[in-house]
Amino acid sequence: MLTSIRPKNRVIFAYLFFPVAIFIFSVFIPLVTAFVYSFFDWKGGPHKTFSGLANYNQLLHDATFWQAFGHNIFLVVLCIVGQIGLAFIFVLMIQSRLVKFKTVHRTFGFFPSTISAVSIGFIWTMIYDYKRGLLNWFLIAIGQGDKVKVWLNQPGLVMFLVTLPLIWQYIGYYMVILLSAISSIDTEVFESAEIDGANGFQRALYIVLPLIKNTILVCITLCIAGNMKVFDNIYIMTAGGPGTSSMVMAMYGYKTSFEQSNMGYGSAISIGIFFLSLIVIGGSQYLIRRLTREKGAA
Amino acid sequence: MTKTISVKKKSSLTVGAKAKKGILAIFLNLVLWIFSLSCIFPLIWMFYSSLKEKRTFNANVAALPTHPTWMNYINIFKNPDYHLAASMISSVRTTLCSIIFIVLFGFIVGYIFARVSFKGSRFLYLMFMSGLLIPIHSLLVPIYVVFTSLHIDNRWFTLPIPYIAFGLPVAIFLVEGYVKTIPPALEEAAAIDGSNFSSTLFRIILPICRPILTTVAIIQTFGCWNEFSFALVLIKSPSLQTVPLAMTMFRGQFASDYPKIMAALLITMSPIVLFYFVFSKQIIKGMVSGAVKG
Repeated sequence: MLTSIRPKNRVIFAYLFFPVAIFIFSVFIPLVTAFVYSFFDWKGGPHKTFSGLANYNQLLHDATFWQAFGHNIFLVVLCIVGQIGLAFIFVLMIQSRLVKFKTVHRTFGFFPSTISAVSIGFIWTMIYDYKRGLLNWFLIAIGQGDKVKVWLNQPGLVMFLVTLPLIWQYIGYYMVILLSAISSIDTEVFESAEIDGANGFQRALYIVLPLIKNTILVCITLCIAGNMKVFDNIYIMTAGGPGTSSMVMAMYGYKTSFEQSNMGYGSAISIGIFFLSLIVIGGSQYLIRRLTREKGAA
Repeated sequence: MTKTISVKKKSSLTVGAKAKKGILAIFLNLVLWIFSLSCIFPLIWMFYSSLKEKRTFNANVAALPTHPTWMNYINIFKNPDYHLAASMISSVRTTLCSIIFIVLFGFIVGYIFARVSFKGSRFLYLMFMSGLLIPIHSLLVPIYVVFTSLHIDNRWFTLPIPYIAFGLPVAIFLVEGYVKTIPPALEEAAAIDGSNFSSTLFRIILPICRPILTTVAIIQTFGCWNEFSFALVLIKSPSLQTVPLAMTMFRGQFASDYPKIMAALLITMSPIVLFYFVFSKQIIKGMVSGAVKG
């Protein structure tokens, strides 16, 4: 803290004015506006009629919205297992002295996470395509031609198929984060474990995992926050379809507001997304802290 | 002590153990190469496919081109209706505009939070940090409502406003943490030499903060360049569309012409791909430190 040479309040105010204004204007004013409009019946035109809690009542009984919420949770769980789990396995492999070209793996593996979700969506749409897709080409090439499908039209499969690109895109990202955490561990720890006769699996479970526990928790938090807001890939690949079988919350809010121009209900959905995401992110944080504390005590 | 043990261990390796180690080495390297190559395979596939004509591509989607042609690229650049070039200019402008202000504001606000206490400073700090928690995607519809009612949607300066706001919390958080590692004696010495607050801020602190500001700029470059959902609801004019938005329009026109879509994708991805492969080391380091601390 600067005490003796503290600048005048006038100076501080001048420096803070624009950043604070732009932040309030883009974050808090829209939130308040959405909250207000969520109590109105408003189809996007000049007429708004106050309807009290009608929108929220509808939201609570809206099967599609809760289905979309379920899909978000599905994405979160699958991505935690797929992204962080696989990243952890790859990190253990890459740590081995037997592996060459570690920098190349790091550079290539990280690459997809720098590409826009829109491009990733296009690429995977082309992979899944029925007539011109790589997946079906591959199935035919290995003699499994009868398994060929219009992949993104399978209601039961579509959520898994839109999750796959997300997992693939971010494995390298989490791999690099975990690698940087592991590289800060003293190598003597590994050496002495090897001398004591710990095998690779034991070393992973009992030495590496506890030492990078905090980083893994950071990764899980990032993963949850990232997947609650999924929109771009889904918009490109399926737009929530077929029917509503790949609908996620942000997509539903978009469709209601802009395709059915039901702005009042769209605002209520936005407020719903806001609180549900906060609850999921905050709740998982609380749960993680509780669990790790108990383990620490034991 | 360690040395003697490891020597003993080596000499005790039997032929069987060596073979086992060899198989393990092949297995590990193979799995990692499959993963790494899968990550850049789409780039390779799209590149050689974009050199094919639609007909030859549809005949065999995975084959290498027998008569490579730049036709798709020439078509895209010749036809002004595709406005891919315009969208790249929009993206560059939007990204630059956002980054300059995120870095500048992030630096100033982060520094003030780290060094100066004033009435309400705790409140303002918490307000900005709440931005790290607020689910930004829930603002999609509300921001559209606010921007259209004020008629500031669909302008050249529209997108930087939310991008700056959403980028600020992480920037402030990173700068604040960094400034706290600088000894305040530095500013006190500058003050004794007659430097006022502003000139100390920009002449002395700014150069010291360059590493963390570079990290902020790197993270936000990817964030702004790749952002899609807010551009989708706020921008209508084709001339103002950013790259991801223009690509969705482009696909609408050429849904079945995959080589052409691939060519367009590669063109629009090229700046970011080049940027990544040239500076990959710094970028990976910056993104990771930003993610873990933020």
